[in-house]
Amino acid sequence: MGRLVRASGFERFLISASALLLSVLIGAVIVLGAGRMTSCETAAYTLAFPGAFVTQFVGGDALFAMGFCYDPIALYDLLFLGALGDILNDPTNGQFATTIAETTILLFTGVAVAVAFRAGIFNIGAQGQLVMGALVTGVVLVYVAPPLAGLGVFAAVILLPLGLLLGAFAGGVYGAVPGALKAYADANEVITTIMLNFVATSIALFFVSREQFFKDPESFANQTVSLPDVAMFPELVFRARDDVSLLALAFGIAVLVGVWYLLRHTSFGYDLRTSGLQPDAAEYGGVDADRTIVSSMTLSGALAGIGGAVYVMMVLGNFQPGVPSYGFDGITVSILAGNNPLGVGFAALLFGILKSGSIVVQVGSDVPPALVGVLRGLIILFVAMPEFFRMAGRKFGSFHQPGEQPVATDGGTGGGVDE
Amino acid sequence: MSSADYVPSASDVRALPERAYDRLFAGRSRVQQSVIAITLAAVLSLVAFGVFAPESTAGRLFAVLTASSTLAATLRLSVPIAFAALGGIFAEKSGVINIGLEGLLIIAAFTGIYATDVTGSVWYGLAGGVVASTLLAALFAVVCIEFRADQIIAGLAVWLIALGLAPFLSSVIYGSKNTDSVATFPTLTDMGIPFVSEFVTWELGFVLDLPVVGVLDLQSSLVGLPFFGALFDAGPPVYLMFAAVALSWYTLNRTAFGRWVKASGENPKALDTAGVNVHRVRYVAVLLSGVLAGVGGAALALGIGQFTGNGPTMVNGKGFIAIVAYLFGNYNPVGALASTMLFAGLDATQLTLQARDVFNVPTELVRTIPYITVIVVLALFGRTRLPSAAGDHYESGEDE
Repeated sequence: MGRLVRASGFERFLISASALLLSVLIGAVIVLGAGRMTSCETAAYTLAFPGAFVTQFVGGDALFAMGFCYDPIALYDLLFLGALGDILNDPTNGQFATTIAETTILLFTGVAVAVAFRAGIFNIGAQGQLVMGALVTGVVLVYVAPPLAGLGVFAAVILLPLGLLLGAFAGGVYGAVPGALKAYADANEVITTIMLNFVATSIALFFVSREQFFKDPESFANQTVSLPDVAMFPELVFRARDDVSLLALAFGIAVLVGVWYLLRHTSFGYDLRTSGLQPDAAEYGGVDADRTIVSSMTLSGALAGIGGAVYVMMVLGNFQPGVPSYGFDGITVSILAGNNPLGVGFAALLFGILKSGSIVVQVGSDVPPALVGVLRGLIILFVAMPEFFRMAGRKFGSFHQPGEQPVATDGGTGGGVDE
Repeated sequence: MSSADYVPSASDVRALPERAYDRLFAGRSRVQQSVIAITLAAVLSLVAFGVFAPESTAGRLFAVLTASSTLAATLRLSVPIAFAALGGIFAEKSGVINIGLEGLLIIAAFTGIYATDVTGSVWYGLAGGVVASTLLAALFAVVCIEFRADQIIAGLAVWLIALGLAPFLSSVIYGSKNTDSVATFPTLTDMGIPFVSEFVTWELGFVLDLPVVGVLDLQSSLVGLPFFGALFDAGPPVYLMFAAVALSWYTLNRTAFGRWVKASGENPKALDTAGVNVHRVRYVAVLLSGVLAGVGGAALALGIGQFTGNGPTMVNGKGFIAIVAYLFGNYNPVGALASTMLFAGLDATQLTLQARDVFNVPTELVRTIPYITVIVVLALFGRTRLPSAAGDHYESGEDE
């Protein structure tokens, strides 16, 4: 991780962009391969290369041309452009609204993971923290919202911040647990946060599948009672049924800027970043390492919990188990953004497009939308190996000026400039 | 083993209780000591209730725990965790922390089913799972060793790739995230191995009158034994697991390769100086973790005959539990097996509790018991000493 943090901003951008491109290419190969494993009436995509290459010598039809059931180019067209919908004629179309909604929630999980990463902690538990935030927000607002419903706009002014606070509180507590376990019991946070993800899912299911707790008695499905409209984020520009709110998006961007400011320009942020880069130096410099771990995990969990609150108050309108994997996507978003809070904004938009586009893919083609999950893993893998791109860059020139020290090899030269 | 069998060794001539006491309590913190004491007391009182008050709640729980089916389930659930843990030991001992074991299990589970479906043989299926898992481990090895990737992030990537790829391929081939059902491994009695299959079902036909335990009816066959009968009627993966544990222990502690693996993780420079290629040792160790996790993953899926790919897939965190199992077992294959049996036993108990509905327990919360135990164990006993060079990239001076 140290190497990732140390690389310069421009290099980080190049690495992320190349990782993305390479993942998309390998994704295309996987799609072609998968297209050979299934069967179809007519080939959706024909690769003429082996056929044309052979037939120019032996003549005849393209005998060896390979047919594939899936067309990767059409697929990526659906995935990336489909997510935007007909944006030129109708900027508030439903598909683009979904993209914005997905982006909004990924802003929170992405920045949550990034904060922990900056402190040198792998928070794989953003998923569980988001579930807890969503659960508590959904459950408490059901009791608080109806009495306030008569107040109209004022109710929203009270309820929205309250919901966000509830989410932040629940997620923060749930994030503080693995933080404290790491700080005071040396328990590896990767394992504990993953275990807590499983626990969170089960706890949520427990509470919303029983009528004596929070299950909606009038519904067959396991879910809580729906929130009144005043407890929901106002849709503003978009249509109400698209479950998206520019207000939530604006809040998300404000949070990104806030976290960026916190990390760059406050003493807490300085302590947090030095603990991540040089734990020993930080401790020598008077930073309480244990407390920094707990507080950065609490902050990380709170941010993910806010994501859960937004998910309930913007998308669902109640709490339902089976929360999509925003937490895991948050890891990719953060890694792709080089753990930079402002970069999280762009990475979240990219992943919002991927998530929303996967729905278009599901409707418009036979390719299973689970492909996005593969891309997610590939992107992380390639971003994790900057050395690969540096080697490739050295081989093909232009990536490094000759004579320049390779950036931060394991000898710890630390030649890179931190931002 | 009773105390009568105990032969005092030259190094330690004290009585067994004293040694056991030291083993359990010496050099531990207050919290650890009290947790061990409480656990011991709980186990003892559970046994007491089971013997003297079988109708009480604790007595019925004892009955569930000592049912032959519970041991059978424990063994079955141990297989993927134990194999992944063995693989993790090799990789981590060599200096590469393989946090992607979960991903290796997932890809092996799916490929195991697919290969069985295509070839019609569970053994080819097992081989297919091993191949897939080893290929993914090879990718991980190249990324970590050649391209100096951060091992934790690369391991997470392996997990997420498998988590996406297996359901994707299942959807492509079977039209759903769950595959079709295929054949499963037969158990020892059904395998029709000459002599062995008959031996375990052969009626023993004698009665033991033991002083404390009481009359043991051994009229039945080995398979029919109470509780331990499950040991004689398991599938081949269970016996493979015991063999793999013994073999791993032998490889690590008694062979030159084992010494290289340890040196590669503790002091790669010294190993390099001694003329052994550190990268090659690490490659072999990581590939070995792929092979072992592959057996575990394929055996998991072939025990049920189907791959289920919804949510966290059927592997459901077993790869991460395996990591805690070998940490708890202090990188010792036998210790890792023991802690694996503990976690798998808890899982088996909760499954039996759900199935039998003996107590009116909320299934969702009971399901979290293994995961919470993992966290508690990790917090209390997870402070193991990592191999000093684990997680670090090693660059030989001559390579540059």
